[in-house]
Amino acid sequence: MERLPRGRHGLSPEFVARNQRERLIAALTEVLYEVGYQKTTVSLIGQRASVSKSDFYKHFESKDDCFFGAYEAAIERIRECVLAACAGHDGSEWSQRVRDGVASLLALLSAEPALASIALVEGLRAGRGVYDRYQSSLESFVPYLREGAPAPPDGKAVPAATDEAVVGGIASLLGRRILAGDGERLDALLPDVLEFTLTPYLGAAEARRIISAG
Amino acid sequence: MDAIAELSAEKGYGATKIADIVSRAGVARKTLYDNFDGKEEVFLAAIDTVIKEAMARVAAACADVGVDWKQQVEAGLKAMLSYVAEHPAAARMCMVEALSATPAASARYDEAMRECIGFLRQIVPKNTGLPETIEETLVGGVAWILHQQIRRGEAEKALDLLPELSDFVLSPYHGVGKSGPTRADESDSTVTDSKV
Repeated sequence: MERLPRGRHGLSPEFVARNQRERLIAALTEVLYEVGYQKTTVSLIGQRASVSKSDFYKHFESKDDCFFGAYEAAIERIRECVLAACAGHDGSEWSQRVRDGVASLLALLSAEPALASIALVEGLRAGRGVYDRYQSSLESFVPYLREGAPAPPDGKAVPAATDEAVVGGIASLLGRRILAGDGERLDALLPDVLEFTLTPYLGAAEARRIISAG
Repeated sequence: MDAIAELSAEKGYGATKIADIVSRAGVARKTLYDNFDGKEEVFLAAIDTVIKEAMARVAAACADVGVDWKQQVEAGLKAMLSYVAEHPAAARMCMVEALSATPAASARYDEAMRECIGFLRQIVPKNTGLPETIEETLVGGVAWILHQQIRRGEAEKALDLLPELSDFVLSPYHGVGKSGPTRADESDSTVTDSKV
């Protein structure tokens, strides 16, 4: 994110503050991805964002506080992206909606590995203060999947834990791949993730038909 | 090592001090340092012990080739859930605290996940045409449900999850042989044979 011009620029103080906060969040996300949580310091974040240390502390109390802000911002970006992709479909097109949602999720994460890493790796590993946020952010994606999901073809109800296990399983697979350094190729997992997601609801045959229909 | 499992489950790894460990364990500080370099070494040794024990149980349960593969999957899952139910503090240490404690600790967690994925791959039918990543996602899903159960403080009731989780793990394999273009229908007995 570009820094603003120095001196008299006619920009409102609110605009400058918001821009600084966004720059700090973007900087933390990048630095964290490059050097890991332990080595991410307030000075590194400030340097990357071109924001002074004293300005850093106007926005955040600590590195952790900035991390929480960046984590929330990452989850919100992912949510906006998935919801925008789902928005074109009504309830009767559940499988298409899921397909577009998953495709947009993987495209965003592959394009922005630092974003993927803070959301799916650091979120679970940064410590006690973040667990709750990580858990509730994963849970917040469950209704997108559950809403309008069909009953499986064999007539048995989908077990209650299935939606959560599907979302948790996807997060775990993606997190493992990011850790292994494959973050930029997550979009190649689209057929796999889709098949895993659709099968419990549609059965294997129908899930395959939808995936191969593209 | 039991002391650090309890303490990290109660207050978290970060807040656990050497002084807490020695007083809980009833040993002298010197005894601890005779055996370990410091807090992280105690923690890692405790994680290693628990994971080894839990994995041995799961492996033993999965190894019963007298039953069909679905029963093997269920037996492996049941062994894991029983372990968690019997050792709630140890389970919390390995499945929750380890993730955020230190990089070496979270690497232990990753390694145990890999092992579980390996167990599942050995048991289930081969050449199903299912995605290569299917076992990874299934184990990840199970781990996530267990993780939540432990965090809710309900590790003791982990076995209640058995019916839902075994349905979840087996669901992708239902009927794959009947409709999948890449795999001829495979009887359970050939599957068992090919595993051995």
